[in-house]
Amino acid sequence: MGKNESSVHQLATEMGEVLLENGAEISRVQDTMERVARAYHAESFNAYVLTNGIFMSGRDTEGHSLTFIKQYGESSIHFGRICAVNQLSREIARGEHTVEEAFSILEDIRQLPYCPLLPATLSCALGSAAFSYLFGGCWLDALAAFLCGLALEPFLYLTKKHGLSNFLVNLSSSGFVAFLASLLFMVGLGNNLDKIIIGSIIRLVPGVALTTSIRDFFNRDYLSGTIRMIDAVLIGSCIAIGVGLVVRLMSPLTGGSLL
Amino acid sequence: MISLSLLGSWALQTMVAFFATVAFAIIFHTPRREYLWAGLTGGTGWLVFQVSAFLGCGVVSASFFATVALTWMARSLSFLRRTPVTVYLICGIFPLVPGAGIYYTGYYFFTANNTLGMLKGLETIKIAIVIALGIGIVLSLPPVLFLRKRAPKMPHTNLKQGDPHAAQEPGHP
Repeated sequence: MGKNESSVHQLATEMGEVLLENGAEISRVQDTMERVARAYHAESFNAYVLTNGIFMSGRDTEGHSLTFIKQYGESSIHFGRICAVNQLSREIARGEHTVEEAFSILEDIRQLPYCPLLPATLSCALGSAAFSYLFGGCWLDALAAFLCGLALEPFLYLTKKHGLSNFLVNLSSSGFVAFLASLLFMVGLGNNLDKIIIGSIIRLVPGVALTTSIRDFFNRDYLSGTIRMIDAVLIGSCIAIGVGLVVRLMSPLTGGSLL
Repeated sequence: MISLSLLGSWALQTMVAFFATVAFAIIFHTPRREYLWAGLTGGTGWLVFQVSAFLGCGVVSASFFATVALTWMARSLSFLRRTPVTVYLICGIFPLVPGAGIYYTGYYFFTANNTLGMLKGLETIKIAIVIALGIGIVLSLPPVLFLRKRAPKMPHTNLKQGDPHAAQEPGHP
């Protein structure tokens, strides 16, 4: 029984871990962990979750203390895993799984694949083109943004693979996109450089950090909300600096005033 | 007046926003069955943004109304389809996130147009704040105001948050 209780704690913590690593908001992580623990009647379970860490403590039936503390770097978004963990925790709450079954399902969830590079690249390009059009660009601008998007996703993939810091990734990729857009503009593809660049940087814009931060704030997770908000402001500033710098440097070539 | 060509352009723009949102849904590894719904959320947000702008709202207030509409949609979908509200919300919010504001702020600062840079920077922050306000308000509203599936077996359902999670578990406060 004692063994069982400690594995319940472990299950709940690991489910929280998967949620946190894949970009869920704090209250969902905490809520899910507590629900799972309650569903298996682990009464002593306590958890405290931050954007970059999970703290768990509890007691098994023989009175031994259980503790789990883990610090996390950055999360990458994977909604498929969040949905799957959500589904799993709902099933657990209905009493459909033993602890062992739940562990093996969770293992499957961890193995859910990322979207391959090719479809990701295509959707990045499509998204860039669409946003360039939405923000007032013409069809040619959208085409140029499409090409920029096509180059951006592999660039992001490579920089992340080589372990560049988040700061540098945003700075360099926004500069890269602005450079590419300026080149295309110089060759004559597109009429409004600003619309091309706006469309192309939308992939980098801190929409996730902003939204999650807001949700954390309104759930009164102020500390986590602050962490994400600083993240959003830093990402936004990096993009503005990267783009502004390159556009300024290129302006003699692209013809002075660009707007 | 609302002419036919205006309606046509709204429809076209909404469709483009739909596909843009689906593109982001793919990038964030959303399950395939949710693509359509995430896209609809993004399309709704953009449609409301356009109509508000047509009715004379500035960028900031139009962003607010659009955020309210799309968050309402996201939360309703989350109840109906028992999926975390995050999935629809984050994909759908992208058309409204002030990417243009970020660009112009950087551009004006680096071309030594400090006044314009400050103005654009301030506008960007204002848009971020009204988006926050819109999301926060709608997510704090009581569940009665949203479309949702009735849970037939459990009479004591408790639908807190945008999370359909609680729907099937009686007895949890």
